[in-house]
Amino acid sequence: MADRMLVEAVRMALARVMSEDETVILLGEDIGRNGGVFRATNGLLERFGEQRVRDTPIAEAAIAGLAVGLAAQGMRPVAEIQFSGFIYPCIDQLTNHASRLRTRTRGRLTCPLVIRSPSGGGIHAPEHHSESMEALLTHVPGLRVVFPSSPKRAYGLLLSAIRGPDPVVFFEPTRLYRSAKEDVDDSGEGLPLNCCFTLREGTDVTLVTWGATVIEALAAGDHAADEGVSVELIDVAILKPLDFETIRASVSKTGRAVIVHEAPISGGFGAEIAARIADEALLSLLAPVKRVAGYDVVMPLPRLEQFYLPDEPRIMAAIRDVMSYT
Amino acid sequence: MISQGASIPVRFIAPDGQAERELPVFADRAALISFYRAMLLTRIFDEKAVALQRTGRLGTFASSLGQEAVSVGLASAMRKEDVLLPSFREQGAMLWRGVSPVELFLYWGGDERGSDFAGPREDFPICIPVASHAPHAAGVALAMKLRGEKRAAVAVMGDGATSKGDFYEAINISGVWRLPAVFVISNNQWAISVPVGRQTAAATLAVKAMAAGIQSARVDGNDVIAVHDAVGEAIDRAISDQGPTLVECVTYRLGDHTTVDDSSRYRSDQEVSENWPSEPVARLRQYLTAHEGWAKSDEENLIAECHNLVGEAADRYAAIDPLEPKDMFEMTFASLPRDLEEQRNQLS
Amino acid sequence: MKVFELPDLGEGLEGAEIVSWHVGVGDKVVLDQPMVSVETAKAVVEIPAPWSGRITQLIAKTGDIVSTGAALVALADEDSGPEDCGTVVGTLPESSSANTGDAASSTPAREPTKTSEKSIRVSPAVRRLAREAGIDLASVSGTGLGGTITTHDLEQARPASARDGYEPLRGVRRAMAINMARSAREVPGSTVTDEVDVGHWPPDADVTSRLAGALVAACSTEPALNAWCDIERMERKLWDEVHIAVAINTPDGLFIPVLRNSEKLPIAEIRRRLEKMKADVLSRRTRPEDMTGATISLSNFGMLGGLHAALAIVPPQVAILGAGRIFEAARPSVGEVKVTRILPLSLTFDHRVVTGAEAVGFLNAVIVTLGSEAVAETSRG
Repeated sequence: MADRMLVEAVRMALARVMSEDETVILLGEDIGRNGGVFRATNGLLERFGEQRVRDTPIAEAAIAGLAVGLAAQGMRPVAEIQFSGFIYPCIDQLTNHASRLRTRTRGRLTCPLVIRSPSGGGIHAPEHHSESMEALLTHVPGLRVVFPSSPKRAYGLLLSAIRGPDPVVFFEPTRLYRSAKEDVDDSGEGLPLNCCFTLREGTDVTLVTWGATVIEALAAGDHAADEGVSVELIDVAILKPLDFETIRASVSKTGRAVIVHEAPISGGFGAEIAARIADEALLSLLAPVKRVAGYDVVMPLPRLEQFYLPDEPRIMAAIRDVMSYT
Repeated sequence: MISQGASIPVRFIAPDGQAERELPVFADRAALISFYRAMLLTRIFDEKAVALQRTGRLGTFASSLGQEAVSVGLASAMRKEDVLLPSFREQGAMLWRGVSPVELFLYWGGDERGSDFAGPREDFPICIPVASHAPHAAGVALAMKLRGEKRAAVAVMGDGATSKGDFYEAINISGVWRLPAVFVISNNQWAISVPVGRQTAAATLAVKAMAAGIQSARVDGNDVIAVHDAVGEAIDRAISDQGPTLVECVTYRLGDHTTVDDSSRYRSDQEVSENWPSEPVARLRQYLTAHEGWAKSDEENLIAECHNLVGEAADRYAAIDPLEPKDMFEMTFASLPRDLEEQRNQLS
Repeated sequence: MKVFELPDLGEGLEGAEIVSWHVGVGDKVVLDQPMVSVETAKAVVEIPAPWSGRITQLIAKTGDIVSTGAALVALADEDSGPEDCGTVVGTLPESSSANTGDAASSTPAREPTKTSEKSIRVSPAVRRLAREAGIDLASVSGTGLGGTITTHDLEQARPASARDGYEPLRGVRRAMAINMARSAREVPGSTVTDEVDVGHWPPDADVTSRLAGALVAACSTEPALNAWCDIERMERKLWDEVHIAVAINTPDGLFIPVLRNSEKLPIAEIRRRLEKMKADVLSRRTRPEDMTGATISLSNFGMLGGLHAALAIVPPQVAILGAGRIFEAARPSVGEVKVTRILPLSLTFDHRVVTGAEAVGFLNAVIVTLGSEAVAETSRG
């Protein structure tokens, strides 16, 4: 059994659904001949043909709008937005149409589309290529937002996202595309889109995160153990609709929560989780809920990038902080 | 008749109701009467809707006064299996396609059931964000093409929509992928308060098709025969894999933008008065009276029939109770997630 | 406003029937805009608006037969247009009552001052634990970050409840444990005992009030025992007032309310007040301030039993007088042996600030007062 990179796991999932369901159509910039700038669709044009693997003009709004039209007609479009920094023109189509087509037609028309996009920094890219703005989309009613952190979870969650009846925005952690590797069985089994993943069990602190920062959080968990602190790590993965019960149960057990995300801290999705903890788990808290996140500044260019991204020392500082209250 | 970049809109019937040239084959007496009936019904529907809004029984409404020929012309050229993607001033087209007046009243009255058409199940609901449905038409057309179907997607939008990025992206991608789409521009000269001359420097709107490399036509939008003819040809092209067409229909918005707009703020009464003689319903009536033996009794009967139909629909609409508050939640996703269930429970 | 009449439709027609109105009241029309369809003998014709204006009244109704020249519709001039409703969609409410409020202040909030924050730092979880354990957080000192009360601090405040047979000390018992430990820790108490013949007392004599009165007299003789000691500063304060802490036993535990200014009170008043104090204690009406500020303590433990006791001194006080059980005994008197009633007395004193001589002098004064019939009935003056 060979180890697969995260981007390969994405490709495996795409190939699998395309082979089992001919209504699955891929579209995006450079996904055909070039196999995608990150190679997520490498080989798929050759395998499935240019009718189903379509290189689009540079037109993100049209890409999303096409997906809405295809989906309303009963197809299953999977559109790639090359970098999440380019997803903004899609937001009109996602918020004004995809997210509400079902409810505004009382179910007569539905929108089972998937928009996939690499997200997050740490790849020393030029401007606009390191964005994290999942919070813009988690705020939209009617949209599912998924953000896996490992090859296996990317594989299983993407299968479920494509097969499901609702519109999904599927973020992929860019800097883990090639560095995250594990053995992925091409079983065709999807993972459910309604529960978080507990990657590590513990009793002292609940660490909540998603995307690439799961790696730093795992490292912090080990480091904390050396200092006698037992960390429970939750990879949210499904941001919307949120499985808050898993988080609540964990915080009730540990009494301490540290939320980690790359996106800027104010109004980030961590704020939603913190508010829910205050609402539903307040009496369990031994310390304030802490967030370790990007600063409220424009993502800096690569020279300063490492100072922006939440790293393991910052997570450890937050863990020590919450531990010091009691 | 499809022509590239023509500057004089094509027409068959002049404003005074006289035919300027031989009518196309489809324009026989039965067809013309069906067009006339549909336009009159649209107008009477609009009048009723405005009256309901004035008496607080309908929300903001966009009347299509003066534009009935565009709506009826394009919808009558479509086949049942084609798909319509309307903007918000296409009640004439929607009524022709089988959307019921009750559904239209429900939509403008603020009830989502108005978009759950019992008739044309695949037609798109009214699109408010201008031009944002143009890419949907491309997607619908792509689905049809992938399945090898001989069907077309017809999107209708106004002059202002042609300024928007979505519009260009849609015609561009439809052109390069040769999609079976028809983009009808109902050029009523006014985008709320901005006249088309301040909307673009392009000489016509049809000429924008050149930028996407697609075919175009430009017709007198107040001549229902010209509209039907041009859209019919465009659909034929689409379903025979000859690609998309842009059809500009030149008309005039005789009413306000919506029931809460006061157009005298930005345009003169004189201009509106000058456009009344060109309006499409009187035009066809005059032709029918002069050339197809349309009698007074026919007119009266038709007026009465339309009033009854619309009046009955208004009564039925008034008798429909609103959805229940919990219905806000039910269709957010295919099945209700736990969080939404908890929120819904907060209602009681 | 002008009324428009049905025009002559030509061909000798005298009138027309209204078939349908195209406009309604309030609508704006422009010149030549079709307003109404009317039926003549020959055709259905549309009548256009004669001028631009706003429809104010549809005079002829649908179905009416209107003669040429009869009133059809009323139109107001352009000038009397409607008010600008200020939107193209929906309705903007115009009520003047939408008051969005004045900010009390628009300067940014300053640094919070320490005095405005709660003085107890404790997290919600620990707060709940404390409440469940009946622990008063004000009595717990926090050892966590910034003085936060930790679960460990709570544990110190009560033993782990899970152990077999152990129960947490709560409320009054808890206070007693804390206070007695502190007393033993801080005050080196010495005790001197003696007895007094009270055979002359009537059988129903109220003992506590007599004891209080004797205490007052003794404080006058030996003021060193009516004092407060501050050993940190190596200071003592001699009190003129005699505020006696009186031990009162109840089913809920020991309470020690303070009889204030007993030096000013006649015995009868002392007795009355002691009765009230006891009643208040039993009905839990005693307030915390009623139990502070004593200068000396009195415990008539003999009401329950026991003869002599080395009682605990409550700092900053320096003395406590205990009275044991009155018992019958044979005592010599003037060469004879007589059976009489004896009241045993124990005086415990803080030997850091009270000498043995002062203590004995105090006790002697108590004995003299109690032993004297006459003195027992009077106050110090």
